[in-house]
Amino acid sequence: MKKKILISPIILFFLILLVFFYLLIIDRNPSELPSVLINKKVPTFEAKLLLENKTFISPGEFRNETTLVNFFATWCKPCFDEHRYLKKLSDEKGLTIIGINYKDNSKRTIKWLEKLGNPYSNVLLDPNASLGIDWGVYGLPETFIVNSKGMIKYRLVGPITKKNYDAFVLKVKEVEK
Amino acid sequence: MIPSLGNFTLWLSLLFAIFQFVISHKKNFYSVLQFNKIAVNGLLFCSLVSFFSLMYCHIISDFSVINVFQNSHTTKPLLYKVSGVWGNHEGSMLLWILVLTIFNYFIFKLYNQKNIIFISKTLETQAIITIGFLLFTILTSNPFDRMITSHTNGLGFNPLLQDPALAIHPPLLYIGYVGFSAAFSFSVAAISINVKKKIPWHSYMKPFVLAAWIFLSAGIAFGSIWAYYELGWGGWWFWDPVENASFMPWLLGTALVHSLITVERRKSLQSWVLLLSILSFLLSVIGTFLVRSGILTSVHTFALDPARGIYILIFVALLGGYSLILFGLKSKNFLNKHYFYFFSREGSILVNNIIMIVVCASVFLGTIYPLLVEVFSNNKISVGEPYFNSVTIPIMIPAILVMGMGPMLSWGKVDVIGILTKSLPSILFAAVISSVFFWIYRSYNMIGLAGIILAFWIISNILLTTIQQLIIKNKEVTQNNIPKYSSGMIIAHLGVALLILGITASSIWQKEKIIRMKVNDETSIHNYNIVFKEISEVTGPNYVALQGNFWVYNNKKNIITKLKPENRFYPVTNNSTTEASIHTNLSRDLYVVLGDGDLNRGWIVRIYYNPLVVWIWIGAFAIFLGGLFSMKNNLKKLKRLSI
Repeated sequence: MKKKILISPIILFFLILLVFFYLLIIDRNPSELPSVLINKKVPTFEAKLLLENKTFISPGEFRNETTLVNFFATWCKPCFDEHRYLKKLSDEKGLTIIGINYKDNSKRTIKWLEKLGNPYSNVLLDPNASLGIDWGVYGLPETFIVNSKGMIKYRLVGPITKKNYDAFVLKVKEVEK
Repeated sequence: MIPSLGNFTLWLSLLFAIFQFVISHKKNFYSVLQFNKIAVNGLLFCSLVSFFSLMYCHIISDFSVINVFQNSHTTKPLLYKVSGVWGNHEGSMLLWILVLTIFNYFIFKLYNQKNIIFISKTLETQAIITIGFLLFTILTSNPFDRMITSHTNGLGFNPLLQDPALAIHPPLLYIGYVGFSAAFSFSVAAISINVKKKIPWHSYMKPFVLAAWIFLSAGIAFGSIWAYYELGWGGWWFWDPVENASFMPWLLGTALVHSLITVERRKSLQSWVLLLSILSFLLSVIGTFLVRSGILTSVHTFALDPARGIYILIFVALLGGYSLILFGLKSKNFLNKHYFYFFSREGSILVNNIIMIVVCASVFLGTIYPLLVEVFSNNKISVGEPYFNSVTIPIMIPAILVMGMGPMLSWGKVDVIGILTKSLPSILFAAVISSVFFWIYRSYNMIGLAGIILAFWIISNILLTTIQQLIIKNKEVTQNNIPKYSSGMIIAHLGVALLILGITASSIWQKEKIIRMKVNDETSIHNYNIVFKEISEVTGPNYVALQGNFWVYNNKKNIITKLKPENRFYPVTNNSTTEASIHTNLSRDLYVVLGDGDLNRGWIVRIYYNPLVVWIWIGAFAIFLGGLFSMKNNLKKLKRLSI
């Protein structure tokens, strides 16, 4: 009996390695995590604005309305595809969208917004990803729906696309209620 | 020229390592000794040359080397050009190999007439590990890879890492991790040639385990100090996967340091110690795997590359498979039927071991739990600070209780009532001191209460035993049953008590204030008034900074200090960092961080009042010192063995 215990370490060891191995070989994105921030207040942070020489302070400057918070960057290809749907949300639905420009070059972002149009009420700068850490962002783009009381209600990892646009608008309406 | 030399010696090291592996099988003792001398010295020399070649490339900023181009810049101060060598994945592997060959050399130095087979087997295992890491470095992360296009300047080095504490943090950690490789090799050698009685394998292993543990402790302490003043979050431990990767081997190392004493004195727990030394090294390597394969995301992550992950995983599987199968098959020879009493020195050490293992397993589970959940349910979750705090703190409490008691117990059977009457003074003393403490601080938090009482429980026990020791010395009574205390143990345990004191006070009674301040604004935190006097621009060697000047007054309106937190901008990497400004004394830290802002609207300022933080560092230093003392004693024992 006692001698059998001696082989238990090796069995446990290989079970754990099996898990690691499986995780390494499957096509997996370690960045997709549901937010632990759901139903919590927006994080407290301060950030410089891209277009004005001002500082944005959270949560003080979240207005009393449903707001989208969108993490984007010019180097992110899906963000480019997503952009027109953000335009649509701001132009057609009249939503306030706060853009957070993640690890990006300011000049390039200004040009990008001039070319594609600016759906954002404010563009915040996040050059060293500290806002990304506050919000638990790992991949771009990501969009959060914040309700009128400043609570995070929903997190979308990945872009808003033609496919999920309607579902996303529904989510926003749900939060608005 | 120099990069090629580095590359050449790296390959040459591989040859020497293979040579060491092959000749350790030889039966002829004298040829084994002679050939190993060549292999070990050659390996050490080549890895030294290789390592310093890379350092030279970093110092002269040779941007034809990809590693230098990606991590350096001509404007970087010399200290960080040097520390930049190990501030990146490839270079750190080179350092890892260098430390490995240095330990290899020390193992070789243990050769004597009696232990030739045992040391040869150890060197053979050490050679396997060295070959594994050399192949990994050469095949997947060669720091000497060149570029054809020439660049006039590099991409720069993450400014967060440009810090003196972080310059020495990695080497200390690697000495720790690699030190466990020696324990691993000794253990494998002991099992595979079945040395049970003939050779005191534990006496050979102990100095290496102690060295690993001392340096790991120091490395973790420096990492925490860095996190404390550089990240500007007011805390110093965040349960990040990388922190856990160093904490887990430390816990096992702590268990190992203690149970090795039991093996030495009572010859019990032998197979347990053998398993533990295998596991500590495997955990060190698995930690490296978790950090560098990219299957976990962390603040510290190195460059991610799945190929590296696969390689390390296969290597871990081979090492672990070999050693654990060996353990499963042959370690029964080390089992014995020395049962012992719960109330005895060895009983308390066993409790310490069990608790360390449980804590280590909990931390391990918390670290890989998100991965397990993902595999089995496809959900993604993240485990954070709340889990680790609520799991580890309650398990640690009995360990600390026993820690206060253990050293007072003697080996073998103990008179329970006698020991209780003996510890009565220290129970009273702990109670009195704790009440005084609470009378001063006037806070009644359960965990705070527990932490403070436990800390003083250990301190008063140590005082008691020290006094006892002195009395015995004066009377010159030699009694068998009275335990002797090593100075190393006393200092290290005192360190743990101070550490607990600092951790408890700084995490329970911390005060935080985040406000927007304009020049000449005033605010207060815990009896201190803080006035924002001015803000100015300063220029550093490779950054520009905005520096605030805060004058701190106490409640008698006397000025105490001027704090100057900075907000630095590094143009090369386009990064900014915050430099907290901290005023420390024995009872508290005042910690000011300057955030964003401008003249018109003021700046965001974060102010922390952190009680007793400095005792965390003092405690860690005492643990380090205690380790060194006991190292000295163990080296003496080792010398006696070789005669």
